[in-house]
Amino acid sequence: MSVWTWLTLGGAAVLALAVVAELRRRLQTSAPGRRFFRHPTAALGLFVLAFFVTIALAAPVVAPYPPYYQIDIGHPNRPPSAQFLLGTDPFSRDVWSRLVYGARVSLGIGTLAMLVAATVGTAVGAVSGYFRRWVDATLMRLVDVGLAMPRIFVLLMAVALWEHIALWALVLLIGLTGWFGTSRLVRAEVLSLREREFVAAARALGAGAGRVIFRHVLPNAAAPIIVSGALGIGNMMLLEAGLSFLGLGVPSPAPSWGNMIADGWHKMAVAWWSSTFPGLAISLVVMALNAVGDALRDALDPRREAA
Amino acid sequence: MAAWLVRRLVASIAIVFAVVTITFFVVRLAHGTPCGPAGERPLPPDVCERQRVQFGYDQPLLVQYGKYLVALRHGELGESFGLHRPVADALADAIPNTFTLALAALLVDFALGLALGIYQAVRAGRFGDVAVGNVALLVNSMPVFWLGLVLLLVFAQWLRWFPAGGIHNPILCPRLLSPYCLLDFLWHLVLPALTLGLVGAAGTARYQRAAMLEVIRQEYVRTARAKGLRERRVLLVHALRNALLPIITLFGLAFPFLFTGAVLIETVFAWPGMGRLAVNAIFQRDYPVVTGAAVLTTTMVVLGNLIADVLYAVVDPRIRVQRGGRGGGGGSV
Repeated sequence: MSVWTWLTLGGAAVLALAVVAELRRRLQTSAPGRRFFRHPTAALGLFVLAFFVTIALAAPVVAPYPPYYQIDIGHPNRPPSAQFLLGTDPFSRDVWSRLVYGARVSLGIGTLAMLVAATVGTAVGAVSGYFRRWVDATLMRLVDVGLAMPRIFVLLMAVALWEHIALWALVLLIGLTGWFGTSRLVRAEVLSLREREFVAAARALGAGAGRVIFRHVLPNAAAPIIVSGALGIGNMMLLEAGLSFLGLGVPSPAPSWGNMIADGWHKMAVAWWSSTFPGLAISLVVMALNAVGDALRDALDPRREAA
Repeated sequence: MAAWLVRRLVASIAIVFAVVTITFFVVRLAHGTPCGPAGERPLPPDVCERQRVQFGYDQPLLVQYGKYLVALRHGELGESFGLHRPVADALADAIPNTFTLALAALLVDFALGLALGIYQAVRAGRFGDVAVGNVALLVNSMPVFWLGLVLLLVFAQWLRWFPAGGIHNPILCPRLLSPYCLLDFLWHLVLPALTLGLVGAAGTARYQRAAMLEVIRQEYVRTARAKGLRERRVLLVHALRNALLPIITLFGLAFPFLFTGAVLIETVFAWPGMGRLAVNAIFQRDYPVVTGAAVLTTTMVVLGNLIADVLYAVVDPRIRVQRGGRGGGGGSV
């Protein structure tokens, strides 16, 4: 069992390395690609992300036990060993297996929630910046209110009101309370783009508002959206972890990195491993996302100097 | 300046008003009634009905809303379902604890963040800068409650330097009275404040490094160097003064972070503040307390931003001119 664990672990690492190397080789031909890899930690961040995505996708192969399987109820909290790579938790489940399956939940929620937030934020920002006047004024007042609301309270209230919350609803909630910043960013970008000659030209050729926004303005505003998206996934993951930690996010038997911390919390004194490793996983992934986001900014926006 | 201030003030009040309205209706429309948790053990219908009348839930929604607003003007936030006391009183008990924690965390945040940021800027590109930068990046990526747990494990469980939670020793110091008890309180404050402060400091250092690097490139810094001032004086007097400006923005941004972090940190450290009150209230379906806490936090966040804006205008004359000159509608923010 444990030889297989190490083999899969090594396999995931090699695969992740190969992905990074291949990406690097392909991107070397373009200027933004070279700028991306010039960032000191971009390759490392990409490797960490590729590794976690690999084990998340291949969870049934990588995990030695099923995520809900309680190995030996009589002897929970076993320390990390050759058999249990990261020990077992207070419910006698293998922490490494749950970490692997939890990667699916945590990364999935983070990514999907960010997609929701980026979509809504971009739409609102584009409409606001393009049409200006009362549309802009109304939407931006809404954004002001949204930014002032303490997000965690809003989420807590919403979750509490719904009793048992489904995963897709959680994703929607986290996404729908996270687009305010993006919309301001996109609006600022659109405000300056809409005054440019190529937009005037498109309009002169008879393009409607929808076509101008989607075909001419937004493609040119893509860089900041992508960067803020990459940085946003990390925030979404942290938020999900916080909610799950309070017992209001991902419901318990399903593993998410946040509720794994919560599961191990009260036994921290005797079994530090069951809370420590999922937290470490979150930190690593968020840090990798930040590094990649920073590198993307350097790559896509050459005017900005890497400070 | 006065006109700008008035406009800004009105906008702030409008935001708070909007948040109050939204939270009120969201909670009411989603059957936030005083009949206890919907699932577990429902109250008998007659008791439930009595409760509804007692808390005024039998009146039309708009009347309830009006009454809530009128009460709010007197600083009242309604009656808690579970605590058998007004929400405002419960919050008033919790706020000083949250404030002390936030203030201590802010101190750690800025003291450490500024020092590290300046150090990094001075050593830009060298080993010290890169090392501090990477550690800061890691700390900034940690879930704040998890960092709290790890600090608890190391400093309370293994080393036994600090207590494992709570706000004071319940046997020796039930109330803050003697100098010993004050020390006891501070002793309990260290870990939660450090947790919140460290995560904040990691972000502050990043900002401060960028701000300092920006300023160091300016002409007047070169002038200061050229007239033969010591490097220490150039950096700490001439450069730092202007590099401190962005910190005011950070000060405004720190408020939401501190209150959000407080919700989680107060749970981890059993700190009897507003965040823990709200989390407990959520589990008990005590909606008036949740609404009250949300309204109060929003007010605080908006107030923090307002203070930061005013400070900025006072400190940096360039901003004042810009804002005064813009005039007219507040269309762009």
